[in-house]
Amino acid sequence: MSEYFGVKVDDLFNTMPDRFRPEGAEGVDASFGYDIAGEGKWRLTVKDRKMKIEKTPDLSGCVTVTTTDGETFVGINLGKVDAMKAFSSGKFKVEGDFGALAKTGKMFRKYVPPKRELTPKEYILDMFGTLEKRFQPARAEGLDVSIGYDIGGQDGGKWTAIIQGGKCVVKEGLAENLSVKLQAQAPDWVALMMGKIDALSLLSAGKAAIAGDAKLALRLGEIFSPYTPPGEKAAEQELIVLRKTISVNQKFATGPVMGKFLKALKEKKIMANQCPRCGRLQLPPREVCAPCRVRATEWKEVGPKGHLMVMDVVYYASPDPLTGETRETPYGSIHVLLDGCKGHETFWHLLRRDQIFRVKEAWGEERGTRLRPVWAEHRTGNIHDIQYFEIDE
Amino acid sequence: MAQGKKNRNVGIIGIGQTHYSSHREDVNQPEMIQEAVRLALTDAGISIQDVDCVVHGNMELFEMIHQPDLWHVLGTGAYGKDSFRITTGGTTGSTLVAAADNLAASGMYNVVLAIGFEKLQEGHTTGGITNMADALWAKNLQTGALTGHTAARMIKEFGEDRAKRAAMTLRIIMDKHACLNPNSHRAFGLEFGQMESLMETSPKLVGDLRLIHMCSQSDGACALILAEEKRAKEISKKPVWIRDHITIHREESFNLFGLEPVEMTHRFAARELFARNGIQNPLEYFDVFEMYDPSAWWGLEWLRDFFLLEGDEHLKLVENKEVMIGGKIPMNPSGGVVAANPIGATAMVRVAEAALQVRGDAGRHQIPKPVKHALASGFGGTMWTVLFLLEKELTGWGE
Amino acid sequence: MIRNPQSKGDVMSRRVAICAVAQIKNEPDIWYKRFQGMVLDCVEQILKQTGVTFDLKKGIRNVVTCSDDVFDARTISDNALTDVVGAHYRGEEKMAQDGINGLGYAMACILSGHDEVVLLAGHCKESQSESRRMCTNLAFDPFYCRPLGMDFTNVNALQARVYQAKSGIREEHLAKIVVRSRKNGARNPFARENRTVTEGEVMKSPMLADPVRELHHYPATDWAVAFLLSNEERAKEFTDRPVWISGFANCMDTYFLGDKDLASNFSLKQAAGKAYQMAGIKDPRKEINLFELNDAVAYQLPMWAEGVGLCEEGKGGRWIDEGWMEKHRVNLSGGMLNGNPVMIGGLARAAEAVIQLRGEAGSRQEDGVRRALAHGTTGAAGQHQAVIILEK
Repeated sequence: MSEYFGVKVDDLFNTMPDRFRPEGAEGVDASFGYDIAGEGKWRLTVKDRKMKIEKTPDLSGCVTVTTTDGETFVGINLGKVDAMKAFSSGKFKVEGDFGALAKTGKMFRKYVPPKRELTPKEYILDMFGTLEKRFQPARAEGLDVSIGYDIGGQDGGKWTAIIQGGKCVVKEGLAENLSVKLQAQAPDWVALMMGKIDALSLLSAGKAAIAGDAKLALRLGEIFSPYTPPGEKAAEQELIVLRKTISVNQKFATGPVMGKFLKALKEKKIMANQCPRCGRLQLPPREVCAPCRVRATEWKEVGPKGHLMVMDVVYYASPDPLTGETRETPYGSIHVLLDGCKGHETFWHLLRRDQIFRVKEAWGEERGTRLRPVWAEHRTGNIHDIQYFEIDE
Repeated sequence: MAQGKKNRNVGIIGIGQTHYSSHREDVNQPEMIQEAVRLALTDAGISIQDVDCVVHGNMELFEMIHQPDLWHVLGTGAYGKDSFRITTGGTTGSTLVAAADNLAASGMYNVVLAIGFEKLQEGHTTGGITNMADALWAKNLQTGALTGHTAARMIKEFGEDRAKRAAMTLRIIMDKHACLNPNSHRAFGLEFGQMESLMETSPKLVGDLRLIHMCSQSDGACALILAEEKRAKEISKKPVWIRDHITIHREESFNLFGLEPVEMTHRFAARELFARNGIQNPLEYFDVFEMYDPSAWWGLEWLRDFFLLEGDEHLKLVENKEVMIGGKIPMNPSGGVVAANPIGATAMVRVAEAALQVRGDAGRHQIPKPVKHALASGFGGTMWTVLFLLEKELTGWGE
Repeated sequence: MIRNPQSKGDVMSRRVAICAVAQIKNEPDIWYKRFQGMVLDCVEQILKQTGVTFDLKKGIRNVVTCSDDVFDARTISDNALTDVVGAHYRGEEKMAQDGINGLGYAMACILSGHDEVVLLAGHCKESQSESRRMCTNLAFDPFYCRPLGMDFTNVNALQARVYQAKSGIREEHLAKIVVRSRKNGARNPFARENRTVTEGEVMKSPMLADPVRELHHYPATDWAVAFLLSNEERAKEFTDRPVWISGFANCMDTYFLGDKDLASNFSLKQAAGKAYQMAGIKDPRKEINLFELNDAVAYQLPMWAEGVGLCEEGKGGRWIDEGWMEKHRVNLSGGMLNGNPVMIGGLARAAEAVIQLRGEAGSRQEDGVRRALAHGTTGAAGQHQAVIILEK
């Protein structure tokens, strides 16, 4: 199995049980398939706030199948690859209910790769290998010195850092005429550089020694920026992100026009108002006819049945900003031409979900499928007094 | 809509854009604005002292800040100056330029700074757009700005295969342009050879509108400095003149779903603007067009309206790649709105990018022919259109 | 005559006229109409008063609306207004500061030559949201001021504390201002109907945000208003009593409270100064006959009076004692204090000024009003200020 960004695809799936958040799986009863090219296939089953992950070639019955390659999959999980970019460029494909897959995001805590430890020898070599890079010229103005590092033990070595004219050169071995020499055993040096122990403690315990310019030795922490192990970024300024949900309750007035329309819905009637000038019917009714710029004062009952004009099959629903809830997808957002209406006088509502792929839109001379509204039992003067429209059969 | 002669000419003398990305978490809102303002001032070679009015705008419900210009004074430079705040949804960016143009042309102000911005990652974009609908009705039905109607209509008119291929071709062309624009948010490096695979695998959003067709949601800010003629000539070697602009809105309800054809605001605005400026053949007249294209389908459809074309002329422009940089009528050399969409700024960016083309300063995405006449559009609300006419010279207009 | 302050000597003789103003009555809760209905009432009145049409060549082709997304709880709140302001296949731009700035902007649209006739329509329903203060709390940055709980009410209170100490404003002064505003409001058929109060009641009114008492603060109000503006040539088509805009300016102060002297009137002095320069006014006390100042809170009346130069800095208390509120003819409408919604308080001031200049103020009409000043603020502690000078 290959590693991407230091992580194996197996690691991601094997740690799923540990990272699982049951509260994020509330109400989910489905299987999700993953097909990672060259690595294998996995099946995630979620039911009753419990999960199961198995590596299996059988992805039948999965509500979604995600197909991608190892690098993209690991990269997205680690935040090293932009998910949207991968999606859009086709490197990350999802077949099935896109909305359902989005829910898995809430089910798992983010994968954090365990910190990789190096051997002491690797650390020492890396520490001195990066010394030149960590030199800060601004802190060494006017300095003309050489610093010797005498690191003892089987993992140790000897180095000299020569600082002159705003530059630093690191050579192996101890030079003649050192300004200061630091001595310590390799494991202690590693602990010191990793911040696990401080210099004073080492010196007091006789585990380290300074010969020469002690004041210069004290400045070394400034002259060289702190060591960070490979793979970790140096601590940057922490950027704080503030998360907040803002909600202010509202009391929306309906006014006499919208109010009359909504009230009629309670009585299972659909009312349109009409422009006295051009005669167009308006659904939902509103105060003026916008093109004529006059009040629309006449009322007419229309429908309740009609013919489908146009439908949008919506696969991605707008979440409620407050609750995060979305309408179940796919849903059909429809424009119905109710009996008594013509032209653009359509009524905007929803179609019964299980009939989305059975209806036909209008085109040319052909009328669309005949529909009827399904009323709610308990009506309050609200758009949901009509639950949806269904085929009139 | 102009009724009389313009009181005095106004030119764009400074342009500043931040990099557009999905999260500028390293800056807060006034800091982000400041970046664009500084860039615009540097570009113009003036200091904030030389500005006498600041116009600010965005769609505040995205970031949920009431009266953001109050807090943003920290980054806009409006302290001690006259300042206005004008917002019109998606067209805000162009309205800001129109307002700045009116303010400078009026004689009330000489140098006006217009700032458009958005930090979409600080809110919820689709939810915010859905919230523009009537709470009592359409809000329960709408999903942001997403609709599959355009795709469905074009498929019925031109045939499924041809329509889908044309939309995807346009999308890929936009991406190629975006790759040349260092500021773009999304530039994938798409190739025409990927057309089939993208048409199939990109997830569907609504109907045949797929994720790949849709614009991005970006953070970013854009600042433009406008000056009246005398000051513009003193300050800049190449002011870009705003010859005219027009704003056309449409009623709150869409009312577009019958079968009878409707003249969209795009065509109406174009017709009016060209007629009153004596432009008889817009396709020949303009050297470049920065269109506010919220999706590849809309970008394709509206080409016909904006250039007053008929039949399938617009599809041919795309199929023959005439809309590419180097083609007869390059469209969105910047990559357009699918490449970057910081909503409050997006429409302004269209004017900014068109102005860069006129100046010859667009760098890698500069079109090869000299640009004398540019067109820029803004879109928002319920099919609103704003159109700008930019000129390199103050004379020799018309054909 | 408008003098461009930036280029002295560059005098423009073109003028912009306000041809008509139409408003509904200020009310505590217009639950029975949507804001579209409220604005429609105003627009219909304008059409009737002036006979203006929406003809593409000769009529209204651009509309400036004034509203606020947060108070309307609706993204792109002007989207809902398109139909009722006649903006179908016309232009519309939303002024998202106090509507008085919309008058300045509409003036620019006309002076630029872009438009000959502009319709301006503003609305606000403070009754719609459960709390005005939750809304204005959102005007502050999310990291520091907002979590501290700042909103327009308590920040204005901080300013009141500083200003009142500086200018010798006592409880008695504030009580006098409130009683007077309600008395004036009672004479104004468009003003919110409030019960009359006595000075004693005001002084005992519960603290809202110390030192601002409940009765010192304007009450929640719903309202809508519309104006028709035109260039000089066409004004006579629409009215025989045009009111000319001779000066307009606004100014933005800085944001953090600690960065400014809350009692300095910095932005108002700037705005007023520029407006006076434009209108060629040297001493407002002598050259302007009527003042409408946007007093959302009682202390603001003398404070803004200082800012526009009606009295010297620090002398607000004395200005009240010496009866100058009457002599300078300040806020005869009842002012914002009697009740106008936020975002269009300045338009209410301008509406009253126009009515007085046209001689249409009925029982509250003053004699000899030739020139008036109207003022509006946006934000807390008057961060953004606008001044407009109107004349017959």
